[in-house]
Amino acid sequence: MYEEPYKWVEAVGNRRQYLDEQFKQGSPVVALTYEAGIVLLTVSKGTPKLYEIYDRLALGGMGHPADLEKLRFSLLEMAHVEGFNRSPSDVTGSRMVKYGIAPVIKQAFEEVFKAPFIVKILLTELGQKAGKETFLVINYDGTFEEGSHCAVLAATKAVEQDMMKLLRAEPGRSLEQAVGAALQAWALGDRLQGQALEADADRGRESQADLASIDVASLHAYFRETVAEKTIECAVLDRAQPGSAKYRALAPDELGRLLPKDVRASLS
Amino acid sequence: MGMQGDFFRLLEAQGYQFGVSGGGSHDQQFTTATTILAFKYRDGVLVAGDRRATAGNMVMYDRTDKVLEIDRHSVMAIAGVPATAYEMVRILEHSFKYYRRTQLQELSFEGKLRAVSKLLKDNVAAALAGTGAVAPIFAGYDFEQETAKIYFYDILGAEFEGVEYAVSGSGSPTIRGILHYVNTWGDQPLSAMTEEQSAVQALRLLTSAAEFDSATGGVNREANLYPVIKLITAKGITTMSEVDLKRHFEVSVSRSI
Repeated sequence: MYEEPYKWVEAVGNRRQYLDEQFKQGSPVVALTYEAGIVLLTVSKGTPKLYEIYDRLALGGMGHPADLEKLRFSLLEMAHVEGFNRSPSDVTGSRMVKYGIAPVIKQAFEEVFKAPFIVKILLTELGQKAGKETFLVINYDGTFEEGSHCAVLAATKAVEQDMMKLLRAEPGRSLEQAVGAALQAWALGDRLQGQALEADADRGRESQADLASIDVASLHAYFRETVAEKTIECAVLDRAQPGSAKYRALAPDELGRLLPKDVRASLS
Repeated sequence: MGMQGDFFRLLEAQGYQFGVSGGGSHDQQFTTATTILAFKYRDGVLVAGDRRATAGNMVMYDRTDKVLEIDRHSVMAIAGVPATAYEMVRILEHSFKYYRRTQLQELSFEGKLRAVSKLLKDNVAAALAGTGAVAPIFAGYDFEQETAKIYFYDILGAEFEGVEYAVSGSGSPTIRGILHYVNTWGDQPLSAMTEEQSAVQALRLLTSAAEFDSATGGVNREANLYPVIKLITAKGITTMSEVDLKRHFEVSVSRSI
């Protein structure tokens, strides 16, 4: 039945609708630069969503854990074989995405007789020099975007745009400031997703958040309420980390010290 | 579960071959690398190595790094054919990282020891043909036992624990005796020495090895050339700076030669 072109287009459209539904309750992921590298933050229930891929590459994911795991392994295999056969310097986020997983995700999305990957991926790369960081966001259909200061994953484009408004480029931002900004962006994204879910009216909504109207205290309050029985995941790609591997997951006590005071008090 | 997280198997699946004998003849002279040592001191393990690589009577290179970091808590010091040794280090480095990143936990210290042993066993054909013999020292921090440990290997992959110290390479017979003497009848055993005292001992030992073994490089102050010394503790690995090596050498080593 899909041999007719319009049927195929219709099937792909249905698939897009189906996939959009799957992300509605997902936890957003935030990544941004700070003075020594890149910080990634999300809130998870059970399975982790932030991973080390290679010496300078970290991954954040949204979606089905099994699909995320499959693509994570593809990235790990590609990165390590390439790093061994050539050099760790040749393992770049851009190559991993453009010639590695993006075509695989696109193919799975368009093969309407097979299951697509229910996954959105954020790949961050610490540059060899400060200011050369790369952020790659890959959508469930294989399309990807590249940025240099920050990137987010959320249920819809509109929510992502609102979150990005909170993450302006600020060179020299401390880790504490970066964690604070990431936490606020996550809270805003999760709150907007929750509101959209309740109203079920998110589809087609244009970006609406107005920076002036965003109340930091209310975002912190929302964060405190939401994370009560979940895990805050935070990791860094830290240029100052000794050795070649720059990824480090922040331990709970270190993360505790970096959280804004009003959030820290309630979580401790 | 199969062999989850096995980088070496992944490489083999891609057609990579390790330890293939080139069938070298015995009149060929291959580059080899020479005196390495490790001993336990008060805070952990010190690993040191000279910098010379030779082929027969020829000094090929005087800035070889024979003490190589595999990951944040393990070091392999190499004696033997550098081409094979560096390849082994690259495989181990990727294997340990691949395991950590896929399995979301560090490979155990025992698992790391087995990985070294396995590579040496896979390399037996090349080792016996004379083209790839390597006799390394592997040292690292064992988090299960909360202590830094030393192991040394023969070219076939047999693994031995150096409870107090280990040596390898052509200059090692000289310093093995000194280590035994210092550890048994010195002012204090090696395990009681501070970082500074240990570094001085390592410099004196390698200088002694260079005195009696032409294939071991000594200190060349004009060229600012000192041995490599790395220290392993629970916090990780630190490399002694050239400034500290120079200071220790000038204060505590050169005057007694």
